[in-house]
Parts: sequence; C-alpha cells; structure tokens
Amino acid sequence: MKLKLLVAAISLVSFSGMAGGFDLGKILQDQLKKSQSKSAPAQPTDSATSPQTSTPQNDKGAEAQALSFGLFGKYSTEDEIHIGKQIAGNLLGAVPMVRDEALQRYVNLVGNWVAAQSGRTDIPWRFGVLDTEDINAFAAPGGYVFVTKGLYRQLANEAELAGVLGHEIAHITKKHHLKVLKKSSLISALGQAASKQAKSSDQVVQNLIGNGAEIMARGLDKDAEFEADREGVVFAARAGYDPWGLPAVLQDLAALPAKDGRTSLLFKTHPQPADRLSKLGDAIGDRFDKLSGKELGDRFYRIR
Amino acid sequence: MKHTSLRCMILSMLLTGASVHAASGTLLRDESLRTQASATAAVSAQASKGTAVDILTRQGGWLQVKTSKSQGWVRLLSVRTGSGGAGGAGLGDVLGAATNQSNPSRVVAVAGVRGLNEEELKTAKFSPEELARLESSAVTREQASANANRVGLVVTNVPSLPKSQTRTEPTKSSWGDN
Repeated sequence: MKLKLLVAAISLVSFSGMAGGFDLGKILQDQLKKSQSKSAPAQPTDSATSPQTSTPQNDKGAEAQALSFGLFGKYSTEDEIHIGKQIAGNLLGAVPMVRDEALQRYVNLVGNWVAAQSGRTDIPWRFGVLDTEDINAFAAPGGYVFVTKGLYRQLANEAELAGVLGHEIAHITKKHHLKVLKKSSLISALGQAASKQAKSSDQVVQNLIGNGAEIMARGLDKDAEFEADREGVVFAARAGYDPWGLPAVLQDLAALPAKDGRTSLLFKTHPQPADRLSKLGDAIGDRFDKLSGKELGDRFYRIR
Repeated sequence: MKHTSLRCMILSMLLTGASVHAASGTLLRDESLRTQASATAAVSAQASKGTAVDILTRQGGWLQVKTSKSQGWVRLLSVRTGSGGAGGAGLGDVLGAATNQSNPSRVVAVAGVRGLNEEELKTAKFSPEELARLESSAVTREQASANANRVGLVVTNVPSLPKSQTRTEPTKSSWGDN
C-alpha cells in the first residue's frame, strides 16, 4: 500500500518535468530504504519513533523529511513543534498579541494547568490572546493555543476559559491538524520539489503548511471539532473546573446574530453551536451529574 | 452593537447563575421537566424537541425553564439559547437584519466590528517579534500547578467521554471507563 503510493509519487514526479538540480527520485529511494531498514512499521503513527530531524544546513535531509511526512506520515515531536511554531508565527503575523502582560500570563497559567491534565507533557505549551475582536480560538501542533480578544470578552469566568482552552488543547493532543497536513503534504512536498523552492527546513515546513496561516482558515472536519468538545470539557473537569464552562460559551455563541462579522470565520470552520451542544449533550448525558468544579468568576482576569 | 453586548451580558449573568428574567431558548431534544435541578427529581411535565422556552436561571448543569404550559428543570445541554430552530433565524438575526448587508462573503460590520478573514490569514507573514512575545509570557507546569493549588483547584478523576451515548434514563453508575 505504502509502496504503491511511493511508486505513484515517483511517476508523478517523472511527469512533472523535474527542472534539474534536484534528484527527487534518489531522495525517495533513500527514504524508502531508510524506512525499510527501520523494519517499516505497519502503523507509522508513533511520533516518538520518527527518524532524524533535519537542520537548515541539511537541505536534502529536510526534503527527505518533508517527503516522509507525505509518504510515511511520520512526525517526531520536534517536527511537530517546528510545524506548529511556523503556523503560530504566521498567524501572529496576521494578528498580534494583546499588549497586556498580566492577561497573557494569566491565560498561560490557566492553560498550562488544563494542559497538564491532557496527558501530553512532551511539548511546551504556549497560550496567547490575539488582538482582534473576531470571536475565535486556534490551535497549532506542538502546543500553540490562541484565543481572540473577542472571544475572551464573551467569557464570564475562569471555568469558561478553561473549557475553551481545553477544546484547543484537545486539537493538539489528538493531532487533528497534523492529520490534515498528512493528507495534503504529499502534493505540496512534490510541488515544492518541482519548483525548487525549498532552501531550508523552514522553507520545507512553510511549503508543507501552505501560505501564511491558511490552515487556520481551512478548518478541520466536523468530527474533529465534536471530539475536541468532548475531550476539552473533560480536561477542564479534570483540572477541577466546573465542567459546564465550554457548554456555556457555546450557548452564548448560539445566541449571537448569525451574520455577526466577528463570528463568520468561526462558523465557517466549525459546526453550528447548536449541533455542538446537541452532540456534547449526547456524550455527557448524566456523566457529570456528580461533578462539582469551580467557576472562579472572581479570579477571572477582565480585559481593560 | 449595543443590543448585542446587552444580550451577551444578560446571557453571561444567566449562565453564571444570576437570576434574570426570560432569556429565550429552544429545546434540542425531547425532555422531562423536573421539579429540581437533579436527574432524580420528580418529573413535572414533558416537552418535545423544538419547544420554545424561557430560561429563568441556571444551576450547575441544569436550567430552569418555562414553556407555554409548564415550568421545570432540564439539562443545560438540552437547550439552545436564542429563539428559533437550530441554525435557523434566531433573535440575533432579527437584530442583525436591521443593518442590511448585501455581500455575505465579505467581512461585515453588523456589530460594528469586522472579523478576521481568510485573505488576511493566507497572506500573513511570519512574525518573529510576536512569537518572541508569546514565548516571553510562557509559564512552567510547576508555576501553573502552584497557581492552581493556591485557588483551590483539585485534580479530579474524570474518564474520557464516549463518542456518543444513547440517551437513556439516568443510571447511577454510568461512569464506566469506556
């Protein structure tokens, strides 16, 4: 199956003209050999077992690595952080951080505490509030989580913040964005090789994730969002918060005007709040009846 | 804008448990109205999916609601706030319609504020300065943990949720480890 994919990839390349200077076929062969010599795991999903990581000096290594994303679906934790950092930096190029150090620190304290209950301790978690009235939140691989000032303003207490951050944290622990990249990376890896644009591993990663923070505008599939809701409420509840924080936020969003410009991207990339509430209700049922977490309305940091 | 923030404020108050008069909502499923905010409380009435309700107050995972016929407590997640059916025109749409908008694909100013758009995201250029700012606010797990302890947050054992649970009448031990 994997071999078939490889063959298809090679033949694709041979048709693409391959404007010289770039021995992609050899890289693919090397990559195949490498993977075979590593006894080619049938399920190449364990990120920890990924091969070498590249350096900017090692362009071919970076190429081979990018191709390994596409062909073998392998990501080391380092790869994941590298990809996430690029996406986060691009997103921050579009929307800067709110200039309020106390706010940013507060969100990091809450976020890290929730993330500590997620089971992923191998990545450095980073949380930021973006300076836009748009109502949204974003996650990038490797532990990067953002919430917009517009969404933050909608929150009534710390439990709601924990619920929102929990949802984003779940996108990262479930590697939802990496799965999207895996699907599209073969094409982009081949595309970049043909156009000889790759100059460094940064460039490879950039080419992999598309232009700017495009992946944030593309969104994930609905099931990934429903899954992140289910995981997110549990992370917040494990952290000792009232588990109804995220549902309460979804209730608020459901009540906003459908044509409010601040939610157009959110609703384009997410299922309707009513659907999310309904699905979450199905999953929770009576399971949270005995939980009594904290809302921490007093401690909640108010913007401005 | 005024209307929106006012409504949000009312909702926030409502959702944090403050008693407010009649925010509206819709039942997302057939529900039993109970006499108290508990699955073991007596059922006072039944209401079917789509029923319009006035939301009186919230207590934990429960909302006290009033239908045209009766009043009682239902689970928070059984109610969609705002009027109208799921995805349909809500109270908000009525307000939004007042600001006549011709091109829905453009970022609009219904609330006087424009949102992020795809083009901005696609053309975004990597910002090392902002990334450094993000890094500078980072905290360690130990710091977060100490902070949580200070405010009395206690780690609680909560199993993962199953993909979906067919809604049955509450059983006392549905805490299985899926």
